[in-house]
Amino acid sequence: MTHISQNSASDHGTSNDVTLDLVNRHSHTGNLFRISAVILSILFVLGIAGFVLRITTDGTSNNDKWGYYAAVFAFILTTAQGAPMVAIAPRIVKAHWRRSTSRAAELWALSGFITTLVFVPLIFVLPGLEDGRRSFWFYHEGEVARYIPHYVGALSVVAMALAGLFLLWVSSLPDLAYIRDHQTGWRQKWAKVFARGWQGTSWQWFMVNHRMGILGAFYFMMLVFTHFVIVADFLMPFVPGWIDALFPATHAFNALQGGVATVLVTLFVMRKFGGYSDFIQFDQMWGLGKLLLATSLLWIWFSFSSFMIFWFGKKPNELYTLDLLMTGPYLWLFIAVFILVFIVPFFTLIWNPVRRSTWGPPLIACFVLVGTLFDRIRLYVAAYSVPADADMHGPIPLDLVPAAVYPDVFDILITIGVIAGAVLIYMLGTRLIPVINIWEQRELSIYQVHKRFHRTEVQVLGKPE
Amino acid sequence: MQEYIEHGPKKINRDLLAGVLGLPRWWMPIASVALLVILIAMCAYGWELNRGIGVAGINRPVYWGFYLANFVFWIGISHAGIMVSAILRLTQAEWRRPVTRAAEVLTLFSLLAALSNIFFHLGRPWRFLWIPPYDFARGVWPNVRSPFIWDPSAIGTYLIGSSLFVFIALIPDLAVIRDRVSGKTAKRVYGFLSLGWRGTPRQWKLQTVAGILLSALVLPVFVSVHSIVSWDFAVNVSVEGWHSTIFAPYFIIGAIHSGVSAVAMVMALMVWGWKLENYITRDHFDAIGRLLIVVATTWFFFFALEFFYAIYTLEDPEIALRTMQVFEWPYGPMFFVFIVASYFIPVPLWLLKNVRRSPMGMFLTTISVNIGMWLERFLIIIPGLARKTPFTFDWGTYHPSIVEISLVCFTFAFVTLGVLVFSKFFPLVPIFDVKEGEVFRDEIKVGRRTVPASIRE
Amino acid sequence: MISFNKRSIIGIFDNVDVAADAIDSLKDSGYQHNEYDILTDTPYPTGTFGEGEPVHKLFRWPLFGAACGFSVAMILTVGTSLAYPLVVGGKPILSLPAMSIIMYEGSMLGAIIMTVVGIIFESRLPRLFMGAYDERVTEGYIGITVTCEEDRIALAEEKLRESGAEDIKYGWKD
Repeated sequence: MTHISQNSASDHGTSNDVTLDLVNRHSHTGNLFRISAVILSILFVLGIAGFVLRITTDGTSNNDKWGYYAAVFAFILTTAQGAPMVAIAPRIVKAHWRRSTSRAAELWALSGFITTLVFVPLIFVLPGLEDGRRSFWFYHEGEVARYIPHYVGALSVVAMALAGLFLLWVSSLPDLAYIRDHQTGWRQKWAKVFARGWQGTSWQWFMVNHRMGILGAFYFMMLVFTHFVIVADFLMPFVPGWIDALFPATHAFNALQGGVATVLVTLFVMRKFGGYSDFIQFDQMWGLGKLLLATSLLWIWFSFSSFMIFWFGKKPNELYTLDLLMTGPYLWLFIAVFILVFIVPFFTLIWNPVRRSTWGPPLIACFVLVGTLFDRIRLYVAAYSVPADADMHGPIPLDLVPAAVYPDVFDILITIGVIAGAVLIYMLGTRLIPVINIWEQRELSIYQVHKRFHRTEVQVLGKPE
Repeated sequence: MQEYIEHGPKKINRDLLAGVLGLPRWWMPIASVALLVILIAMCAYGWELNRGIGVAGINRPVYWGFYLANFVFWIGISHAGIMVSAILRLTQAEWRRPVTRAAEVLTLFSLLAALSNIFFHLGRPWRFLWIPPYDFARGVWPNVRSPFIWDPSAIGTYLIGSSLFVFIALIPDLAVIRDRVSGKTAKRVYGFLSLGWRGTPRQWKLQTVAGILLSALVLPVFVSVHSIVSWDFAVNVSVEGWHSTIFAPYFIIGAIHSGVSAVAMVMALMVWGWKLENYITRDHFDAIGRLLIVVATTWFFFFALEFFYAIYTLEDPEIALRTMQVFEWPYGPMFFVFIVASYFIPVPLWLLKNVRRSPMGMFLTTISVNIGMWLERFLIIIPGLARKTPFTFDWGTYHPSIVEISLVCFTFAFVTLGVLVFSKFFPLVPIFDVKEGEVFRDEIKVGRRTVPASIRE
Repeated sequence: MISFNKRSIIGIFDNVDVAADAIDSLKDSGYQHNEYDILTDTPYPTGTFGEGEPVHKLFRWPLFGAACGFSVAMILTVGTSLAYPLVVGGKPILSLPAMSIIMYEGSMLGAIIMTVVGIIFESRLPRLFMGAYDERVTEGYIGITVTCEEDRIALAEEKLRESGAEDIKYGWKD
């Protein structure tokens, strides 16, 4: 039997209260925020110092010195730049719980500045195609430019960063208009410029929704393409005989898991220290917890699929690859990754009490983030440590598997500095753009009604087309 | 769902039990044709059993032909049920309600059809008994390291899991039939099958939890089944074009592509055959069409990855195989038809709302998909085997015999007859699910507009 | 459990609110929650009739089933491999990747089978005797059954009629 629920005038009053509340919270900057920003800035500067020392000491011609650098680049690409997908995908399926989380996820697109910056030296580290290594560009002298991987890589990283920034801007337009209309000082000036005369006409709302859909799809395509290019040109060719058709997809879908974990940790911080506990509640943690469980299962499925083919096939190049990346010098790191990225999330998140809590999923997300960092280190450091003079078409004898490369001071400084830089730019972004999507919260108050259903209370959720 | 027609429980019972309590006029002729095809195919199989596997077209070096391609095809179709039913149940998509049971039943019969191909292929089917781990004086145990042992464990688990999944969800509807049929025997049988279901809040709560829990349990099985089937090919190093890590997800996404297309076909047939246009509306076709765009594009991405990485190896035999697959007779034209029929015809059409919302449009485009996907499986298996060895004198060709063609037709007839017979005894649209949709449906008035809504507990 | 000194009746209602009123009336008259039940043809949101959330232990069954399935599969794979220790394809006798596939399938099969057994058991099925039941329940009517001692059944009947039951049927009569 169809029932009709009414959204009354009092709910409209509540929407205005929500708007003012969020705008005011956005303009307030606490001491904890300032202290954290200072610490992160120091770490970022130390990271830059580490990078300068690395490049002046070792130059860009020694691959094995840049393994950790490439690993942290891939880590930010996988985690922070995967986070906007947590806004895009639930928006496509019209999940209402995403409304409190979508801006927090989209703001991670700002880390595109960091990845673009960090990517530049890698262009110089990667040799040209004339070394004869296997490549998608089927290099023949004179027919294909020997630096084509560099160009395509740079283009894709920049395009992905731009797509994320555009998506962030488009989705923020109505909120920037609220700030323009309710704030003063530099915030008002900044919002006035970037709100682009937003008035809230039907046409403007239609275009925002339409553009968010297109930009979201484009961002996803760029994410997949960028991961593909990074893997196909900046990772796998370093290991002669590493032919894994699935790995670009694995690397890209790891970004979904990394993105979910990043957003979960962000939401926890927002709840605990940002004072947003009335917006970030059980629904958001539960929805993201389920996504984290699903993406953990995806990780094991893809990893096992690759492993099984190599293990069963026992071709020399496959044995070399397995030894290098899994069972040889990085065995303990691989075990740690397996435990942190799969075992811990799976065996905890299958329990309802863990999934249905506000602390469980963020805690598990921390494990996943650490595991993802270890995973990127395992892959990139190992690949970059293969001798540059190895026969590029493989297979290499097993006794030539290089020993594990341990991080030096420069690597540690760079790793911490890059991660600090990504977090810093996110935090600074939250001062410019509200971290909770105000217009989506207002929209929720239109489409969510609590009412009596005979002898019980139910929640009614509208599903507009 | 923007289109909505409220029915009421009595009308729902009447409409959805029409096929069970009565018989559409077309049912007997179509079932008879299916039965005739099955009988002819069984004669062909009898001939094969009598004369040996040599009456089939398979021979050195193409040891796997129509039977295996058809096996993989039906395993793919069988993924439809769980995809539509389990994933949409877990994501609480309202549009799944009228289609879940048909999808699950398609799964069951597709799995059985797939298994039948293995029996046909075995030549000496009693050797199937070598798979279970018993050793009564044979002195041989099954080789756990072989994908041919992984296969039965996965398919067996999936078959049992899907059957139980269908049965549990069927119990409330069996109670409805128990209360509606007039014959004493029929009442007893349905009463027995419904296990005494009464419809208490406890039973309904457990039914809801069961749906979610079983969906969550069957989904990993669904992923593992076709991964393991793909590893029948991918773990093999001696056949060009097979040894690729991407086979597992590639096969899964291909299975989802063909399976969901098959569900869309069945939806159209249900609308036409049982006059269910009030239950399976244009909105449902639109929703499945949008899902298919995403699935098809993802499938194409994996196909492109698989193809490019084959060339990436820069191994001459691999490249020669791909050249043969794409450019040489007879595989070249098949490749063209496959790629066009699987993606380049249906997907651009699905981008058009009119096509997505039309049962005929969806029916024709999904037939195209399944023709393409059958050819895909053929093109994965046969060309690689035809060029298996490095010596050209050992190269071969493959021509399917009339026996193989008959037995492939058997599988289509079997699935058709199976679904028809099922529809005669059990409702194809879950009655309680549709009724639940009505209870949980709501609307929100926003100014002059009424927005459809649903109740969440 | 069949209790031979108890009787059951069913009241048929065609309206949810009226049926909920009947439940209230039964509660007010001292009937306990395990003495009455609500029969519907479709699930309603929990608490629609004022009933409490059903408590079940269904989630233990798949865990138990998975453990059993895993153990059986492990014994099978390890046992058969050791019973016929032939090196095949250069792989060790006990090949964990291969065995893990069958152990995984065994776990899932065990979990699914025990989940189904658990669902049937927790639903208190199979029910050998229907007791007080009316076929109109599956036509959209709401049935309220009361099962209690014979001396209290008349009061229950009176309360159901007062609340607006369209019909009353007796479980011990045909």
